[in-house]
Amino acid sequence: MNIHINGQAYPISQAEGINVSAALTFHFETPQQSTFAVALNGDFVGKADYDTTLVKSGDSLDVLQPIQGG
Amino acid sequence: MSLNIYGTQLDSRLLIGSALYPSPQVMKQAILASGSKVVTLSLKRQNPNEQSGQQIWTYIQDIISETNGYLLPNTAGCKTAKEAVTLAKMSREIFQTDWIKLEVIGDDYNLQPDPIELLQATEQLITDGFKVLPYCTDDLVLCQRLYDLGCEVIMPWASPIGTGKGLMNPYNLETIRLRLPDATLILDAGIGKPSDACLAMEMGYDGVLLNSAVALADNPTLMAKAFAQALQAGEQGYVAGIMQQRQTAHPSTPTLDTPFWHQN
Repeated sequence: MNIHINGQAYPISQAEGINVSAALTFHFETPQQSTFAVALNGDFVGKADYDTTLVKSGDSLDVLQPIQGG
Repeated sequence: MSLNIYGTQLDSRLLIGSALYPSPQVMKQAILASGSKVVTLSLKRQNPNEQSGQQIWTYIQDIISETNGYLLPNTAGCKTAKEAVTLAKMSREIFQTDWIKLEVIGDDYNLQPDPIELLQATEQLITDGFKVLPYCTDDLVLCQRLYDLGCEVIMPWASPIGTGKGLMNPYNLETIRLRLPDATLILDAGIGKPSDACLAMEMGYDGVLLNSAVALADNPTLMAKAFAQALQAGEQGYVAGIMQQRQTAHPSTPTLDTPFWHQN
C-alpha cells in the first residue's frame, strides 16, 4: 500500500490510512518549521484538518511551498 | 493619485513579479527601485531539502516588510477551474491574503487564458470570499462578465506572457476602458518597454503588472526605475487631457505677420 507525496511513493502499513500530519513526516523532517500548504487528491486541506484527515492507499498528497512568480 | 485594489489604496500603480531575476539580491533591489507596493509570487512543489524556495520567500517577506506592501499570489500553471480554486485556497492559507491573481491557462503555446474555466473559477472564488484579480484576454465581453461576477479589478493582457511584444491590440484595450469606466483595469503580461506601460496609462488604465521586462533587462534595477517613471508620465498625460488627433496640419507658429517673401 502506497501513498504519494508530490509524486513520490511512500509505503504505509495501516489499512485505514494515516492522517495528514503523519504523512507529512515522510516529506519533511520538521514540518512545523516549513512554510507550505496541502492538497489531498486535488482538494485543499487546511492546517486545522491535518490530524483528522486520512490519507489512504492510492491517495495523492500535494505539498506546495512559496516560490517566485509573475 | 492612488491605485484602488478592492478598497486598498496604493501609492504606486506598478505591480511587479518576483521571478526570472539573476539573483534574489537583484530581485530585491529592482522591486524596491520600482516603488511597487504589490509583489506577485506563486506556490509549487519543491524538494523539502532544497532551500532556494525558502530563500526567495525570505527575500519577498523582507521586501513586503520594507515597503509596507502586499503579496499577490498567482495560480500560474493551472488549467482548470478546480486546480485554480484549490491553489487559491492553499495560497490564502500560506500568505494570509484573500487577494488572488487568477490565472487559468487554456493553451500551452501562447499561455492564453481559458475564458470558460476562468469564469467558473472566478465565480467559485468570489463565493468563497476571495478578492479576485483575473488575468484575461483583451476580450470586452469576457471582461464585462468578470466585472458582473464581482471582480472590481480586471487584468487583460497586453500580449502573451513573457513575449515583450507590448500592446497587441490597443483598440480592444481602449474599448474595455471605455465600457468599464468604474473597474480597476490593470494591464498584465506582454509588456516589453517602458513606453508600453506609458501607453497603457495614457489610455486611462489604472495600473500595470509586469515581470519579465524588468527581470530580463540588462540592468533590472535601472529598468524598474524607468517603468516607475513611465507609469507616472502616462498617468499625468491622461489626467492632463491628451489633444485630439487631427487629419490636417495646423501650423503651431502664428501665421500673422509672415515674412514678406511668402506674400507674393
